[in-house]
Amino acid sequence: MSWTNRYSVRIFSAFALLVIGVLAANVPAGAQQHGAYVFDGKRIPFTHLTSQNGKPAVGVNDPGLKALLDDVGATITWQPGQRYVLVTSAEPLVVSFAVGDTRYDVGPVTQQASFAPFLKGGEAFVPFEELVRALDLAPKRDGNDVVLQPQLASIDVQTSGDGAKLVARAGIPLDARIVSDGDGKLVIAFDGVGSTLQRSRSVRGNGLRQIDISTEGDVRNPRTIVTLQLAPGTSHGPLSTDDQRDFAIGFNGASAGQAVASNPEPSQADQSSSQSSEQPASPAPQSGTTVTAVDGAVIAAGYQVHVAVSGDASYEWHRLRPPDNRWYVDVHDATLGMPATDQNGGGPVQSVRIRQAANQTVRIALSLGDYDVVDVQPTASGLTITVSNAIAQIASTAKTGSGTIGSSAVANAAPATEPVDGNWKFAPQPGAAKTHYDAQNPRLIVIDPGHGGSDPGTVHGGLHEKTLTLDMAKRLRTILIAHGWQVMMTRDVDKDVYGPYDSAHDELQARDDIANKAGARMFVSIHVNGFMNAGPHGVTTYFSKSIDVPFATDVQRRLAANLGATDDGIVKSKLYVTLHATMPAILVETAFLTNPDDYAKLDSPSWRQKVAQAIADGIGDYAGSAPGDSQNSGQ
Amino acid sequence: MLIALLVVVSAASWLIFSRHRSPVGDHLTVYYTKIDGQSEVAWDVSMRPQQRDESAKEHLRNAVLYAATQAVAGPPSTIQAVRFPPGTHVISANVTGSTAIVDLSKQIETQTGTFGETGEFKSLVWTVTALPGINAVAVRVEGQKLETLPGGHLELDQPLQRSDF
Repeated sequence: MSWTNRYSVRIFSAFALLVIGVLAANVPAGAQQHGAYVFDGKRIPFTHLTSQNGKPAVGVNDPGLKALLDDVGATITWQPGQRYVLVTSAEPLVVSFAVGDTRYDVGPVTQQASFAPFLKGGEAFVPFEELVRALDLAPKRDGNDVVLQPQLASIDVQTSGDGAKLVARAGIPLDARIVSDGDGKLVIAFDGVGSTLQRSRSVRGNGLRQIDISTEGDVRNPRTIVTLQLAPGTSHGPLSTDDQRDFAIGFNGASAGQAVASNPEPSQADQSSSQSSEQPASPAPQSGTTVTAVDGAVIAAGYQVHVAVSGDASYEWHRLRPPDNRWYVDVHDATLGMPATDQNGGGPVQSVRIRQAANQTVRIALSLGDYDVVDVQPTASGLTITVSNAIAQIASTAKTGSGTIGSSAVANAAPATEPVDGNWKFAPQPGAAKTHYDAQNPRLIVIDPGHGGSDPGTVHGGLHEKTLTLDMAKRLRTILIAHGWQVMMTRDVDKDVYGPYDSAHDELQARDDIANKAGARMFVSIHVNGFMNAGPHGVTTYFSKSIDVPFATDVQRRLAANLGATDDGIVKSKLYVTLHATMPAILVETAFLTNPDDYAKLDSPSWRQKVAQAIADGIGDYAGSAPGDSQNSGQ
Repeated sequence: MLIALLVVVSAASWLIFSRHRSPVGDHLTVYYTKIDGQSEVAWDVSMRPQQRDESAKEHLRNAVLYAATQAVAGPPSTIQAVRFPPGTHVISANVTGSTAIVDLSKQIETQTGTFGETGEFKSLVWTVTALPGINAVAVRVEGQKLETLPGGHLELDQPLQRSDF
């Protein structure tokens, strides 16, 4: 063998070894270790599976991965050139990977992966086992296959009052059933899921004494058994679920559907406002004292929040327990006369929330950054809250206080300060709501029955939004004409205003065009709300512009008072139809077609007549006693 | 030899210290809209630190992507909230000036009424504009700019700001 041949052999051998090495590195891990991955009885053909540090890595474009994610109700976000790979589970939890970083996050929990995600052929590859575990699937070998076994992800006991509630959750839709009930034991079986939660734990009080979790069956057909040891005399409700993923059962009267203790709202201030908003209160008190506006400004000493209050009231203020740098000011015996607001502040004030916290209390909650010196003083117009970081700036280190607002406090004016950058405003100052809008026809009101023609709007249980809105609009027209108003309807039959199957933009603009060209004094769009579940209910008036606020307020007040419906208040939103109407414009969402109680109301002609009457009354309040009396209109 | 060492040290220093530090902190504030349809509740999620080869601009863009994805996902299912239509997810995110551009999947076009639309987009806008330097969110659906959602109510052809809600 010549030296050239010897070198040729060596070069060839080295090349062959290199090729073998490369091929070995790229052989799908699944093929190296087992036959196939199996989920829900089906084999999943992963085609972008490779190995990294001896662990499987899956490409984000793998059709098998996409099929698996579809099956478990998860979605993936990744684009070529993008560092982050984000997977949202059905829970929902966001699972976050990043190319080159072994850290990954599963919701709030940060973990370390066995290897960092990497790019290969322009595609991101992520650790397969970490990903599937984050989706509550456990890879389990069964013969030559690896079964991705769904896991019972959590079992939580939440106590409330004298009752308790048990919540079980899994990464896939669950089949759960009570298999036995008696002798102080309740046994629940979860078919199709395994569990790593196998253990016994004691539970104190509220009827539950102990929980035992065990598994049975095999890898492909697992079952998790949850045995609850009950105290004598403990009663329970049915095993219930909304989505087959979370099952709940209540004990000793606790509702399986009540809000859970894990709600992340942390503060007493927030919790209080949460209760008021989730269980909307009865119509606001009519004490005569009203919080009419809140605005703020950066000052040399820090920041000032001015609370305008009309009438007499008492107030108190507190800081939540440090290091929580949140404060709240309660104005008692007062009504919130402006929209409930969550707003970024400025400077040291991170956010400000204003709510009707209880029937007779308006709460202003401040979340502060680095500054933690606060002083609250009554002024001629209400209250001034000063926020500073220097004790010398304001003579107060108190964390709580109280006082009164009204004639006796007029002399306690806050020091004059000049606002600089960062001003904000939650409600128009007196006079600011009076706009320069002059109606060409001050006697004309345009009524817009929402949707119509090819667009039915919300459809539920046989009722169509477009039919209901037209009915209420016609009733409103009759009332308004009887009171001397001129009325123009954007439609008075079941039709599209712009054209069949037009875009929402063209359709909404066509409705605005009618009102704008006619120079109407007011624009009222009537709608029926809907949502993805039956929970939300009540009447809401939406607005978009500052000139809409007084109009919305007057109409909503009448709707809430006259209908006996849940008052969801007035809500600002960038709604096309109210934004592009040049005159004061509102959109009334009369009720939720998707809520059973509201549905029954909407189905009632007499209730729809009440809606029309309430809107007409609100229009009357807003405009004054006579149509065209623009001096009394609040404009 | 000494000169070469100095060059290496200088280059290393330049690499280490010339990188702009991301204005994004180690936590993001995510907001969800309560079932009253208007109140926002904040919770924090941990934000991955800026990586060595990640510019400040890219880190901000990644923070927008992560924050928007968290907002669209919403809080855990046991918490009542106004939620985006099932399956809705963020496709991509970018930043131009002080405006974040968030591309959503087509499931967002599922009609959820004024209530749903307002709550969904308020949550998204509040979350993304909580990031430093971002004050508006331009919405795209499957890469397309649109004036409103089909059968929808909100005007989307201009970036949304907090003051819109």
